[in-house]
Amino acid sequence: MTNLITTLDPRSRAASRGWSDTTIRNVFVIPTVVFLIVFNVFPLLYSLGFSFTDFRASSKASVNFVGFKNYIDVLADPVIWRTFSTTLWYVIVSVTGQFVVGFGLALLLNRPLPFKGLLTTLLMLPMMLSPVVVGLFWKLIYDPSWGILNHALGLGRLAWLSDANLALYAVAITDIWMWSPFVMLLSLAGLSAVPKHLYEAASIDRAGKLYTFFRITLPLVAPILLIAVIFRTMEAFKTFDIAFVMTGQPAAELISSRLYKMAFQQWQTGPSSALAYIILIMVLCITNIYVKYLNKAKER
Amino acid sequence: MRKTMVGLLAGVSFAAISSLAAQAQELTILWAEWDPANYLQELVNEYQAETGVAVTVETVPWPDFQTKLFTELNAQGSAYDLVVGDSQFLGAASTGGHYVDLTEFATKHELTKTMAPATMAYYSEYPGGSGTYWSVPLEGDALGWAYRKDWFEDPAEMAAFKEKFGYDLAVPATFEQLIDIAEFFHRPDEGRYGAAIYSMNAGDAIVMGVENSIFAYGGSLGDYNTYQVTGLLNSQASIDALEDYRELFTYGPPGWGNAFFAEVNTAIAQGQVAMGMNFFAFFPALVNEATNPHAANMGFFANPPGPRGDDFAALGGQGISLISYSQNQEEAMKFLEWFVKEDTQKRWAELGGYTANAAILESEEFRKATPFNEAFFQTMFKVRDFWALPEYAELLTEAADAFYPYVVNGEGDAKTTLDTLAATWVDTLKSAGYDAK
Amino acid sequence: MAIVSTRAGRLGNRLAIAAVILVTLIFLSPIYWITSTAFKPLVLATSVPPTVVFEPTITPFVKLFTKRAQLTAPVDPAVYEAAPWWEKLIFDGGERLSRDGNGDVVFSAYPDRFVNSLIIAVTSTLLAVSLGTITAYGFSRFRVKGEADLLFFILSTRMLPPIVVAIPMFLMYRAVGLNDTHIGLIILYTAFNVSFAVWLMKGFIDEIPKEYEEAALVDGYTRMQAFFKIVLPEAATGIAATAVFCFITAWNEYAFALILTNRRAQTAPPFIPSQVGTGLQDWTVIAAGTVLFLLPVAIFTFLLRNHLLRGMSFGAIRK
Repeated sequence: MTNLITTLDPRSRAASRGWSDTTIRNVFVIPTVVFLIVFNVFPLLYSLGFSFTDFRASSKASVNFVGFKNYIDVLADPVIWRTFSTTLWYVIVSVTGQFVVGFGLALLLNRPLPFKGLLTTLLMLPMMLSPVVVGLFWKLIYDPSWGILNHALGLGRLAWLSDANLALYAVAITDIWMWSPFVMLLSLAGLSAVPKHLYEAASIDRAGKLYTFFRITLPLVAPILLIAVIFRTMEAFKTFDIAFVMTGQPAAELISSRLYKMAFQQWQTGPSSALAYIILIMVLCITNIYVKYLNKAKER
Repeated sequence: MRKTMVGLLAGVSFAAISSLAAQAQELTILWAEWDPANYLQELVNEYQAETGVAVTVETVPWPDFQTKLFTELNAQGSAYDLVVGDSQFLGAASTGGHYVDLTEFATKHELTKTMAPATMAYYSEYPGGSGTYWSVPLEGDALGWAYRKDWFEDPAEMAAFKEKFGYDLAVPATFEQLIDIAEFFHRPDEGRYGAAIYSMNAGDAIVMGVENSIFAYGGSLGDYNTYQVTGLLNSQASIDALEDYRELFTYGPPGWGNAFFAEVNTAIAQGQVAMGMNFFAFFPALVNEATNPHAANMGFFANPPGPRGDDFAALGGQGISLISYSQNQEEAMKFLEWFVKEDTQKRWAELGGYTANAAILESEEFRKATPFNEAFFQTMFKVRDFWALPEYAELLTEAADAFYPYVVNGEGDAKTTLDTLAATWVDTLKSAGYDAK
Repeated sequence: MAIVSTRAGRLGNRLAIAAVILVTLIFLSPIYWITSTAFKPLVLATSVPPTVVFEPTITPFVKLFTKRAQLTAPVDPAVYEAAPWWEKLIFDGGERLSRDGNGDVVFSAYPDRFVNSLIIAVTSTLLAVSLGTITAYGFSRFRVKGEADLLFFILSTRMLPPIVVAIPMFLMYRAVGLNDTHIGLIILYTAFNVSFAVWLMKGFIDEIPKEYEEAALVDGYTRMQAFFKIVLPEAATGIAATAVFCFITAWNEYAFALILTNRRAQTAPPFIPSQVGTGLQDWTVIAAGTVLFLLPVAIFTFLLRNHLLRGMSFGAIRK
């Protein structure tokens, strides 16, 4: 860890009294980094080791090194590819939905309103629930016979979760319901920080509403919207509890569900570790692109 | 490799907290969260009153049961002394060294004589026919059927049925009749449907339902001793069974593609269906006025024979096993000795448990105790089970992945579905080192 | 946009308020459905068609706190008459209370699990926010070699589906005796949350002008004093917002609580959905458990609501 320590910050003036800046920096930063390494890198290395073996966590049979066989098998499995493309489409639908609903809500809320704090708290209730419980209750709500949704909307006996064409969207709707408030909150923080004088200037210039929105509001809140999208994309990729509880339609099977089945139902520890690494690399790449955009947006 | 890594980790461990010293006067049993576990807790309370040994039944949700159990076993955890495990777990748990060999115990207490034969064969013996036993049958269970007596006995319905099918409407004597009856009562316009069966693509739901039909039709999932799959799993009998299961599915309530035991019982309790297939362990709720408004009108029957006269049903249920890593093995053995006593078994049945004790099962008293005990008794002597190999879970998910698109979505046909599954299973078994065909 | 003075603007504002109310009602309807289910008799929870108007009962809450078993025979009328009102509710629901060896009513695990949840979520939130804040300060004010890479690494720890590391985690925990302990889950949830906390707090601390501290240093404060007396109060809003999110995550975690803990340290989330009686999912008890479990986190959020609106900026707003 010592190689983290670099030259003294020239700004440090208090080095003679109390802790030096270097000490403070090390005490503040190193524990977290070490902590995260222990809790993330260790298990990850462990999994990396598994991914090259035929290890089954359920058996005491001797463990053999199999090289890249697990990776090759996983990538050759058409079911894995199907769940990959399902997940990708799911992430797009779900994150777009959350973005539209969340940002839309923020635009509506960004004005003097009575009981604004209460309204915000109420809108955040969905994300305060446990995902398993959300999945269970939405299953109850969607049920074609005893569910309230079809009944309330007069949709007859629409089979949301067991229809191959609808199931994925039904899950996405639930995810949008649960997490739009997160996007709303971040957007609201961004919108409320836009300096008022910029709007005043725009109104003096008789700028149109659309012009003001696209030229002033959007560029200023873009970075925080991107952060919201980064976090939601990462989480949507990991969506597991909700989808797993709600439906067994192959057309709605997400990569995390497949991973769970492989790791914990079939106990294929080796191949599932390989799949986990493939997923990790994909999410890393996607996030990396986002973060690059984010840095650009911040610099603008 | 795993051992060295554990050693390595232990070496650099940040906190060396030694495990708490074993307390001899306590036993912990792991099971899934459902009513039989509550009955078992009531039963073991009586053991505590007798011996002073406190026994706790700890439960986890059904969908997470095997995950929790095997994570614990694989890490050689000693949190649980005993487990009430599914029959399919036997292969993985015994070859993995997680269960204690109970052959000696079984011989000493003559379990093969006192317990119903099928329960010893499927809940306890592994490999099949080896004479090695790993558990004491605890909760017997199998698939059976519930039906609406009032609908079946309605004179107008009976006349209309006779008119249409040429024979009397009654408890089906064959699977073909069962399908006729389902078709007859299937009236979506009236909000009435034919039959509620398992269709969920999770755990063992849809596979249990399909295998129940396959067994009844005289088909099989393969030869569990020779590992022959081809020609057995995709035999004509199995194909017919799968086709009929699909037909039966279409007589279910709308959007019935996500159903397991809870959904089936709900459909029956809400007056939606004429018949419902479920495990016997779930039938008490159906004769309880508070949970089923139609309780007074419920009848029950055993899985009917298939078109070729074969007569089998799919097995559920669990045996209680001793975990190798338990630090209270002696206490646990004493508990098992108490549990297999006939008096204890009788009490177990009284509390609501499904004893596997043959003498009690056969007694008039047991068979008359509830409206479904007679059907349960009949079923327990004609049961068959899924594969119990350590790789059972792979076979199970592969089967569910194969059956679901055909049964629920109507994709492809029964023959292709089974041919493909047979090929998949042979591959899986081969790569696990079996000489599968 | 924010300036509303014209008549059209006022109309727009009214329309916006109406839309906000409408959307809030839509968002709350599933929550309402869960809450109403918590007050229904079991048969009405899945009635066809769904029941909207009904006479509320608190049976689900009595069930939530007790251990029960399905009745296998009718209750003796004398026993029924002698029973207290809450036991009558259980009998009416077709169940009997489980009793221990001494004949005492057995409580369900819910209260214990609830307390475990409180201990674990509160402590891990405190830890995650503290670590997140000082680390963010470190990154914000000092030059750290490979800062961008380290920050990306910190973020990347959130990218993997956590179940992937469940098996190694379990083996590690067993090796060091952390399984089924409060401290084990506390450390784990802190690890989950700290990356989010660092990112959120760094953005926030970046926005606090360095000049404040510089001035304090000139006045003779040490850097540590400046951090505690100047930076922390300025960062209170960000800290509050971070705390809400860490708390929500730790409060609802399911998979690791299920796998890593047993009787002693298990939290409520694995308990709540497991209410399956004899073949009927007891939706009313699940709903009752959910509603009670939602209260602490909802109250916590409500108390910190004003900070939330300003605290979620991630430093991504140019001033």
